[in-house]
Amino acid sequence: MVNEMRALLHEAAATPPADDIDLAAVLSGGRRRVRRRRARFAGGLAVAVVGVVAAGGLVSQGADGRDTPAASVVPRPDGPVVRISEARQAKEGVDYDVLSSYTNEDLDAANGQYYDGVTDDGLILFRDGPHGPENKIRYALLDPATGEKDWLPSMGSADQVWPAELGTDRLVLTSTQPDDGADLSGRLRAHVYDRSARSWATVTWAGLPDVTGLRSPVLGPDGRLYVGVPATAGSPPPGGWPMGPDGEADDAGAEGDTYDLWSVSLTDPADVRDEGLRVGAVAFTDDTMVWSARTNGKNDRIHVRDLVTGAEHDFDPRSGKRCNLLGFGALDDRIVLSQYCGTYDNGRDDRIQIVTTDGDLVTTIQGDGIDGWVTGGVVKVSSYDRNRAGTYVYEPGSGRFARVSEANSSYGLGGPVPDGYLLWDTPVGEAAGPQEPIPGATQWLARWR
Amino acid sequence: MRDEDEFVAFAQGARDRLRRTAYLMCGDWERAADHVQDALIRVYVAWPRLTRAGREYAYARRALVSVVLDHARRRSSTELVVEADPGRPADLDIAELVSARATLLQVMAELPPRQRACVVLRYFDDLSVADTARALGCSEGTVKSQTARALDRLRSVFEDSSLGELTLGSGKW
Repeated sequence: MVNEMRALLHEAAATPPADDIDLAAVLSGGRRRVRRRRARFAGGLAVAVVGVVAAGGLVSQGADGRDTPAASVVPRPDGPVVRISEARQAKEGVDYDVLSSYTNEDLDAANGQYYDGVTDDGLILFRDGPHGPENKIRYALLDPATGEKDWLPSMGSADQVWPAELGTDRLVLTSTQPDDGADLSGRLRAHVYDRSARSWATVTWAGLPDVTGLRSPVLGPDGRLYVGVPATAGSPPPGGWPMGPDGEADDAGAEGDTYDLWSVSLTDPADVRDEGLRVGAVAFTDDTMVWSARTNGKNDRIHVRDLVTGAEHDFDPRSGKRCNLLGFGALDDRIVLSQYCGTYDNGRDDRIQIVTTDGDLVTTIQGDGIDGWVTGGVVKVSSYDRNRAGTYVYEPGSGRFARVSEANSSYGLGGPVPDGYLLWDTPVGEAAGPQEPIPGATQWLARWR
Repeated sequence: MRDEDEFVAFAQGARDRLRRTAYLMCGDWERAADHVQDALIRVYVAWPRLTRAGREYAYARRALVSVVLDHARRRSSTELVVEADPGRPADLDIAELVSARATLLQVMAELPPRQRACVVLRYFDDLSVADTARALGCSEGTVKSQTARALDRLRSVFEDSSLGELTLGSGKW
């Protein structure tokens, strides 16, 4: 008997079940990817975020008056402005001292080893993996002074986790187990490592509604985890987003999303609290909680709560009318808002706006293809502009603004670090093509002077 | 306005063909739909460039191959890629298999992901060696060697069974 492979393959694929490909999810995921393709956020694993938002109609209906940006030139923000081009070159030995580095030659071929953050006592959370059929991950605490690794016992989970706390007593890594994978929402889990007992415990909360895997929980100064339960999701305008001068969908001035704020105890699975707040993004300092009204879209209100007295006030941060809030953080009495504010004939309008907790405009870092977040007591800025690419550091207290590197790796690497530390990454090797990632990456850990 | 009408028309026209390719690469219709969805998102992002260049489907197929291989890599790290050994005794209980088609799919499921992709692209999508290399992002030599290994394995299983000979069948290449 003769069996023809071509015929067998066609027979095998000849009778598919009903097609459940969701083109609405494709469109919404594509729009989100376009919008956020340059916006990376610190995290332990290589970031591959396919966001799913409420989708509009499948078919564009044409102009709705928003087809072109209001002006062809990037507008100037309110208040003092610093351009990315004004940063000076940081110098090793003057601005920072490198403590450790680690290179993975080809992360496009296989997972490697990563610096996932730094503990409060200065040890690197070193991750090996995931590897193997079961996606096993090993963690060690690496002493950057000696290079010695203390391998931790197995966590017993293959979840994709994000560090929430790297303390001297415990490590807290969180994950979200998607229910069906459709909207990346699911049950929150915390993996808590007791450093003295050298043991892991996994905590889940039956009373906590599903959370979204797109936003990491935030640890409050009270030791509780604060998490957002999806409340409202913005949708594209009728007819879809207008096309910007660069040919990409331009969703500047989007409606934005909100979340209901809940908090949970890391030691008591029954301790679940609805905070009774609808928020956009949330951040903490030692004695304040700050939150935006919306995130991933326009935001015109920042709220500040004094955690000692309970007093609250709010203000308009005077962000641009087309600014989508994409990143949010707090540092002492400063609030940091990373925003995308539209694309114009002369480039993207990306801003990192820094305001005081009283609403005073401190400064806005403006550039084409930049984002920023609070880490290690400074604002770490990433620039993806070909001519000014790399990692920058801005100190809100002193105004020092310095460029640390001249290129970014193709991967979302890093994690939380204590004040005074800086973690960044640079590319290694050459991309195989214009759409391909640069295969390797070096992570650098430094003390910022 | 970003031309979503054209993208939607393309996606509606391409989804079925892409889904069949994805199914043969991953062996699961549901996962195939997920892979196609992910690949179409990548196509959406690149759409303004693609429509000018007129290479939409080739890009979509390349994106799909990338998504499938990425997924396979995450499921089983490529640090230790275990090549199927054509000489080892087959794990398959041939007696239990009722058809040549089922046998083919089961043996393909045991192939390393790149070998399997080579077989699907060469003999289902009927791509040339050069086009398969472009879709996989590798050299033509790699396509030839990976395909040859896959065919060795598939043929040896058929020869050791009562199903008879496995030939390639007629195609363009």
